[in-house]
Amino acid sequence: MITINLSMALVVGALYAVGFYLLLQRSLMRVLLGIVVIGHGANLLLQLAGGPPGRAPIVGDAPPEAMTDPLPQALALTAIVITFALTTFLLALGYRSWVLLGHDEVQDDIEDRRVARRQRPAGAMEEESDAEPEQRAGADQ
Amino acid sequence: MTERIPWERWDEPHEPWLLPGRCPDRSERTLLLEMTTRVVFPTILVFSLYLLLVGHYSPGGGFSGGLVAGLAFVLRYIAGGRQDIGGAVRIRPPVVIGLGLTIAVLTALAPALAGNAVLSSAMWEVELPLLGTLEVVSSLLLDVGVYLLIVGVALDLLRSLGAGIEQDARAAGERM
Amino acid sequence: MLALVAAHLALAGLLPLLSARSHRAAFLVGALLPAGALVWGLANAARALGDGVTETTSWAPALGLSFSFRLDALGLVMLVLVAGLGALILAYSAWYFGPDSPEAARSAALLLAFAGAMLGLVLADDLLTLYVFWELTSIASFLLVGQGGEDRASRRAAVQALLVTVFGGLAMLLGFVLLGEAAGTYRISELLAEPPRGPMVGAALVLVLIGAFTKSAQLPFHPWLPAAMVAPTPVSAYLHAASMVQAGVYLVARLSPAFAGLALWWVPVVVAGLGTMLVGGWHALHETDLKRLLAFGTVSQLGFLMVLFGGGGRFGDVTALAGMAMLLAHGLFKASLFLVVGILDKRAGGRDVRELSGVGRALPGLAVMSVLATASMAGLPPLLGFVGKEAAFEAFLDGGGTPGLLIALGLLAGSVLTVAYSARFLWGAFASKPGVAAAQPQRPEAGLTVPAWLPALGGLALGLAYPLVDTLARGYAAAYPPTGAEYHLALWHGPGLPLLFSALAVALGAGLHRLREPVTAMHRRLRTPVSAQRAYELTVAGVERVAVLVTGRIQVGSLPTYLAVILTAVLLLPGTALVLGTTLPDEQVLYHAPMQVPLGVFVLIAALGLVRARRRFTAVLLVGVIGYGIGGLFVVDGAPDLALAQFLVETLTLVVFVLVLRRLPAHFREARSPRRVALPKALIAIAGGAMVASSAVVVSGARQQAVSDVSREYIRLAPEGAGAYNVVNAILVDFRALDTVGEITVLLIAAAGTASLVLATRYDRHRAERVISGSGGPEHEEEVLG
Repeated sequence: MITINLSMALVVGALYAVGFYLLLQRSLMRVLLGIVVIGHGANLLLQLAGGPPGRAPIVGDAPPEAMTDPLPQALALTAIVITFALTTFLLALGYRSWVLLGHDEVQDDIEDRRVARRQRPAGAMEEESDAEPEQRAGADQ
Repeated sequence: MTERIPWERWDEPHEPWLLPGRCPDRSERTLLLEMTTRVVFPTILVFSLYLLLVGHYSPGGGFSGGLVAGLAFVLRYIAGGRQDIGGAVRIRPPVVIGLGLTIAVLTALAPALAGNAVLSSAMWEVELPLLGTLEVVSSLLLDVGVYLLIVGVALDLLRSLGAGIEQDARAAGERM
Repeated sequence: MLALVAAHLALAGLLPLLSARSHRAAFLVGALLPAGALVWGLANAARALGDGVTETTSWAPALGLSFSFRLDALGLVMLVLVAGLGALILAYSAWYFGPDSPEAARSAALLLAFAGAMLGLVLADDLLTLYVFWELTSIASFLLVGQGGEDRASRRAAVQALLVTVFGGLAMLLGFVLLGEAAGTYRISELLAEPPRGPMVGAALVLVLIGAFTKSAQLPFHPWLPAAMVAPTPVSAYLHAASMVQAGVYLVARLSPAFAGLALWWVPVVVAGLGTMLVGGWHALHETDLKRLLAFGTVSQLGFLMVLFGGGGRFGDVTALAGMAMLLAHGLFKASLFLVVGILDKRAGGRDVRELSGVGRALPGLAVMSVLATASMAGLPPLLGFVGKEAAFEAFLDGGGTPGLLIALGLLAGSVLTVAYSARFLWGAFASKPGVAAAQPQRPEAGLTVPAWLPALGGLALGLAYPLVDTLARGYAAAYPPTGAEYHLALWHGPGLPLLFSALAVALGAGLHRLREPVTAMHRRLRTPVSAQRAYELTVAGVERVAVLVTGRIQVGSLPTYLAVILTAVLLLPGTALVLGTTLPDEQVLYHAPMQVPLGVFVLIAALGLVRARRRFTAVLLVGVIGYGIGGLFVVDGAPDLALAQFLVETLTLVVFVLVLRRLPAHFREARSPRRVALPKALIAIAGGAMVASSAVVVSGARQQAVSDVSREYIRLAPEGAGAYNVVNAILVDFRALDTVGEITVLLIAAAGTASLVLATRYDRHRAERVISGSGGPEHEEEVLG
């Protein structure tokens, strides 16, 4: 059984914790940085899950048994590039938000707050039927 | 023997030798950076090609090569501004991106024509005079596609996030 | 049979084209198809009464789904009602809807589509097929009741019909699934051959009964049916009298042979049926609108049918014989009566009991026909209704014991009410009332009267030709345990209790009609605050209120709250599983390579600094530091490719960030959050990090060897198979090249998206609408909120 060593687990955990904390902020830029940091943590985790340190997986440079596992590396490499693509896109989103709104903060949804303030639904069955007692009387039983 | 140069003006440049070719009207120029970039830029590009080709044997490959080349253009943008990038690359960035993806996809699909599975690769050994045997793998083409695409992405980012934001700022009357 | 059903639906799709030219032609062409179905059914009658005609078309064999159809005795009776009455009513509609009625085009197509769905429902031999058609009929009913949706009463009635029947339909679907899983088959014929038993079946049956009760307007779901009377009369006649509402009865009849022995099945059916029969009849006595009178009559009759089909297992096969006769009789007389009401409505100027007077004298033919139909409803010889009612009394009185006697007395009470409201209908529609001006009705065209005459005459003809009905009913009743003496449907069984009951019903009913004024006064006094309609309204309003409350609480509109909820869910669910289900691997090392420790500390410090950073630029730089630190860790780990990519990407990311930061303010504008907000955020974040770290340790323990078997193969194959010695590169461009192609596609999309977002600003400017920064700020939002 080969597990991640404790110091690296601490680093991964700290990166995730910092990322989560930033994600919970209102500034889009901080949220984005949180995503980047979580991405770093995830890439590190992917690589670490591939086993303990060893020689680079290049045939001829090292015997196969001394090599590190190449598969997690390939996956992590893909992940790094994808994180980059995502980062640029989110950055552009944040910039656009700043251009349009003058700030890059996530505001509460006004519509949702309106719903939360409402006590009863508009046009509910009950209200309608209160309005038309005659019509209901026939259907009453 | 051409026209005589007056002795006091012998060291005056006769051809554009700073990056943008003409002197931009900007206060924040670093001559040192511009000159270094001019020297280093081709070298970095050659290095990126090296990384692309060497990927099959040691660290490198299309991703790394493309990123290095992209960084070379970033350097030019930082040193010379957007006019310089426009001067250096005449082809539009989205075209480069599309070209890269097209090459990659065609490489992937080509084996199907020969009846093989999609994405399977072929190897050829080429005897070159003087140099010896050269192994050529078809998957190198896929790497070339990746390389082009990443260079294109870097250029496109310079176009949008770089020059685009610069223009926005100027339109809003801000100094950058 | 599938072709037949599909033809209905396909033609229904084409009818609007024809309607654009002539409404009448559309209805008449539409009527041809149900007529064809009727002919097909009668041609196959002999086979249907024998082994049954079956047909299966599989449409998703991998999932075991198929359209299975089967025509047997019960199916044939329903087919006669659905297709026969469908053809008549479509023909009637051709004259009912005026040449420029806005509803005609829609109604023609929908009625035909409904006929197709109903046909599919009664022919289905598969629970799921049945369910699909069942819901299609609910939808058709919704659309036909709602009409154009311009009238509020129509909309409310349509929504009520839809909510109630679809609620029942969903319960029924659940029941079907339980039933099908318990039996191992969804084929109804196989299910009936080997009925499943067990507690799950009990739950399934209750759910199925809910479906049947809602569709057939049984207590306490009945109010939707009278409310649906806002629909045009042909729609009411077809959907809400003769066919769709009988679907619930049909379902009970279909499944009864298998489950009627279970008290869980027959007791609720009989109790609800009797209650419905009495309540429906009682209300019918006091309605002034002839359509609503008939609607309550339908509710009452459906209750009667429920009793007959539900009691089959307990009280023997005679109930089933009675049920079949009454099913047929009810469809015929009720359709006929509704069509009469439609004629009165169109040609005599109304359908209110208080306003109609002297119509009988003006339109004697119509009155005679109504007497014929009402007599069948009231159970007078020699009509089919009498034959059925006799058999019903016989079934429960002969050998039913005390429960049988009680049910028979209940049926007697119901029949008294039936006779009374039948008389009330005739009186209300045709009598001359003192003090009310006599109506001056126009003569209805043959197109209106003939479709109304045919079912009324059918009731008479079948009553006289009772052996035919007996044969048909026997084909169905054979599935039940036989009663002692063999019983045949007939007009004359000699004097006995059943005949006495029939006579009593007529006499008492006539008496009740004479006493109508005191009885109505009593009805008014008896009005209770508890009513099914009120209960429906309160339920719907309650659901809406709960929805608003829940939405208000859950959807608070704050992104951090949503994310916190998601994170908490992650902590609670996988976190609990992690704590409870696993143990930490025992061999733990602090570090694998000494260099990991300083690099780790480096990353940790940068991460902590990032949390406290107030300047954007500092924060971005710190993220860069983290990235480079991780690149260093990759180097230590023996992943040079990864490290190279990480360093390069980190640099490019940093550059991109800085490019954007040029225009953004230097500081985060966000005020430092108060402690009561920041602390829970920090706690959730720390708990999340701890969970990821511990699960990383636990989960990575699954690795047994440094290089997995897959990677071992990759390493072995790389030089020969991929021509690459760098295995990571070989994986990227060869073994898993598809991933790479996908990945670069993502890159392309991201670049395109970025460019669009940034360059959109320039587009805004081109339109000369200057974007005013700050127009969406918090101040603005406050303004909007007020």
